[in-house]
Amino acid sequence: MEREEILSAIYHCVKCKLCSISSFHPNEEWLPLCPSGRFYGYQAFYAPGKLEIFREILEGEISEPTEGLLKAVYACTLCGACYEKCKQITSVEISLPELFEELREELVKKGWFLDTHKNIAEKIKETRNAYGENYKYEAKSFYGADVLYFIGCTARYRVPEIADAMLKIFDKLAIKYQVMEDEWCCGSVLLRTGQVGDVKELREHNIEEIKNSGAKTVVFTCPGCLMTFEKNYPDMGVELVHSSQFLTRLGDMKVKKQGMEVVYHDPCHLGRDLGIYEEPRAVLKEVADVKEMKREREQAWCCGSGGGVKSAFDDFALWSAGERIKEAKEAGADALVSACPFCKRNLREAAEKEGTEVYDVVELVNRSLEG
Amino acid sequence: MNQTVSEFVKELQAIVVEENATDDPAICASYSRDQHWHFVPAKNPAYVVRPANKEEVRQVLMLANKEKIPVIPYSTGINVRGLTIPVHEGSILLDLSRMDRIVEINPEMKTATVEPGVTFGMLLEKTRKYKLRPAFPDAPLTVSVLVNYYLRGIYQTAAADGHDHVLSYEMVLPNGEVIKTGSRSLSEMPYFRYGVGPDFAGVFCAHPGTCGVVTELTAKLYRLYDNRKVYFIGFDDANTPINFLHNLMHDELAASIRLVDNQSWLKGICGTFDYEYEKLPKFVACILVEGLDEIFEAKDKLVSEYIKESGGGVLDFPEEFKRTFEEESLGGAEKSCMVFGLRGNYHCIGLYGPLKLAGKYYELHERTALEVGIPEAYIHYYVNPIYSFHGQLCYFELDIFYDGSDLEFGEKLRNYNRKQFQRLLDLGIYGWFRPYAGIIEPTVERIGYLAEVWKRFLKVLDPNKIMNRGKLF
Ligand SMILES: Cc1cc2nc3c(=O)[nH]c(=O)nc-3n(C[C@H](O)[C@H](O)[C@H](O)COP(=O)(O)OP(=O)(O)OC[C@H]3O[C@@H](n4cnc5c(N)ncnc54)[C@H](O)[C@@H]3O)c2cc1C
Ligand code: SF4
Ligand code: SF4
Repeated sequence: MEREEILSAIYHCVKCKLCSISSFHPNEEWLPLCPSGRFYGYQAFYAPGKLEIFREILEGEISEPTEGLLKAVYACTLCGACYEKCKQITSVEISLPELFEELREELVKKGWFLDTHKNIAEKIKETRNAYGENYKYEAKSFYGADVLYFIGCTARYRVPEIADAMLKIFDKLAIKYQVMEDEWCCGSVLLRTGQVGDVKELREHNIEEIKNSGAKTVVFTCPGCLMTFEKNYPDMGVELVHSSQFLTRLGDMKVKKQGMEVVYHDPCHLGRDLGIYEEPRAVLKEVADVKEMKREREQAWCCGSGGGVKSAFDDFALWSAGERIKEAKEAGADALVSACPFCKRNLREAAEKEGTEVYDVVELVNRSLEG
Repeated sequence: MNQTVSEFVKELQAIVVEENATDDPAICASYSRDQHWHFVPAKNPAYVVRPANKEEVRQVLMLANKEKIPVIPYSTGINVRGLTIPVHEGSILLDLSRMDRIVEINPEMKTATVEPGVTFGMLLEKTRKYKLRPAFPDAPLTVSVLVNYYLRGIYQTAAADGHDHVLSYEMVLPNGEVIKTGSRSLSEMPYFRYGVGPDFAGVFCAHPGTCGVVTELTAKLYRLYDNRKVYFIGFDDANTPINFLHNLMHDELAASIRLVDNQSWLKGICGTFDYEYEKLPKFVACILVEGLDEIFEAKDKLVSEYIKESGGGVLDFPEEFKRTFEEESLGGAEKSCMVFGLRGNYHCIGLYGPLKLAGKYYELHERTALEVGIPEAYIHYYVNPIYSFHGQLCYFELDIFYDGSDLEFGEKLRNYNRKQFQRLLDLGIYGWFRPYAGIIEPTVERIGYLAEVWKRFLKVLDPNKIMNRGKLF
């Protein structure tokens, strides 16, 4: 991004703070929307404050990586909720999360970033996955199949029940699939934390493998990976779809509805970034009774784990997830369902004390499928 | 100041606990600029402090007073006039947003008592179950109720609410003394404004944080009616509707009345950019009638008759536009802030004057803007009559929507202001929307000895000049 372009976007912020709440009308309810601002309180943690920090960085007025700077810049989940409100008001074209990622890139260039994020980059260099795990998630693979399942680091190493469920769905529906012989991290966490220089190698490897696989469709259960492929990878001439899109397209899957009342949590990357709101709901409706929470779709409250927050500011991440669990309970749901391994991991951790069940859409589909 | 910076922060932290006071340059930077930056340049406070209650406010003020450190009260920071941007080095920004208690909603008294961090949205959420609402400004519903009323805001959204909503408040002075106005000073009942002789509430009001820090304020609430009707009436010029507006105001018929041009606020009022506004007549009067059953019907009948004689035509707008106008007028402004999206930034001179000068103010607006090189398409207008209509009281807004990143345009605006302040004062106005640096200087020159009295009054309250100095004199 050009400096002038960034400054112009910053100057478009009129400090109205409407980005801090979800749309007030017509329900006339005061519902906060920005997790970092709500948790930390200072203006620096809301979008308008971060923009001023960016301005001072560009103008050279901030000259050291203070604790406040690193916190204000990195304790933001890049959830994009602020931009959903702001674009209605200012019509500004550059999205706020894009600006905040750019700000992180600036900081990384100066060597101003968090040790936790540096460690993740190092782990990725060593093990090619964001968690530094040395074992392989084992899955069978049908060589030459049209469908390739890109599992992602989180579903391989932290919430494998999602990957297991997706693979079982393929089997139960008799869909031939491949997984990559050597899947590398997509690079999302590096891109979101400003460490863009380290992504090239990962991208090239993954592109190479996918091209060689001959697959026509790549299915993702992780919206973060999907978004990275959509936005930060060149067009590989293959179709990229989220699991919920893939399943909706199949039509009647012959599922048995569970007697469960659930709420659906829109993952930020899937909803706000990729505009996929209906498919997960459509799939979920086949297997459960779906209720809506007060903050949903474009104005969903973030689970709190994205943008490198879970690794660096876990207390904040869990607080944000806790707020979502409360909202799910208020809606009278038996369970909270998301469509993202990262959301599930954080929400589940926060839900443990509350006794609320947390699932991914594919887990409920797998349960409901015969066979 | 005779201490090192970090020692001073420690003293502040001892008052508000560590996490609520900081001198971190990045946190301070986030309070450094608002949309008035072409006039008030960006500057960082040296410290940001976030007190939780009145006692903490008191202690911070006493400490600052002892050390002669400037203090800038900040509640939500959305004032659009650079009023919370520091002028002096080493200032403390006192962020009051943690103090967000609705102390009382009293449906019996039709009042609400709030702390500075309570916003219009927060308050309406709680009052509507009693079929009551606050008086709303056209400011985003994220602004502080307490500050808006204390600054004596403009309540365009419901002309019928009138102009003064403050009943009483408590204010902490720089020396740590707490003063209470009206009946609040005599009893636990804060519901009457004029309890103790002079209108003390009025004397301190409309000061941009230059007297002390208001920590609690009791305000009037208004009835919410179920019967409502909306009309949009088109006019080709700004003079024709004057008689019509006069009739509505004189007979106290409409709850909300706004006359706007078809290219700016109208889009916000309707809640969308996506309409053929350019095909509409140049000015549109937006009228909302409300009331109790038969009273409503009678009012609506009279309004319809006045519309027939108005010289304008009723516009056939989609129901959705009407609903948005209604929601925003009686439930707080949200979509109307879309006017920023016209070009990204907005400049306005807001003033009070009589309705009969509506045409003249507009002519002057056009003349001065064109003279300084502002394109015609950027010139916009907003008229809002206010009850009670003695003196034909109206709020006028001479608006210019522009791209804030165009630095040359900023210079044009500064030129515009220099000329226009004087010209408006020459033409005759009742007063400005609110006093702020830039507009106050040419004004005090014209108010005689009152200026001297005003300055001495502030000196008594704040002898060390710590309270947001540079924002008034
Ligand atoms: C789109 C838009 C439209 C607007 N339209 C209107 C309108 O129609 N009517 C209207 O009235 N305003 C309007 N405004 C202006 C403004 O937002 C409000 O007037 C608002 O109430 C003032 O800002 P604030 O509440 O955020 O106070 P702040 O910005 O926090 O403070 C404003 C001033 O009050 C002082 N102050 C803050 N807290 C205290 C305190 N506790 N005690 C003493 N002094 C204090 C500050 O030092 C500062 O000088 C509009 C703003 C926008 C962005
Ligand atoms: S909504 Fe946009 S313009 Fe308003 S404060 Fe937020 S970022 Fe700034
Ligand atoms: S991206 Fe999310 S967390 Fe970050 S400022 Fe915007 S709303 Fe807040």
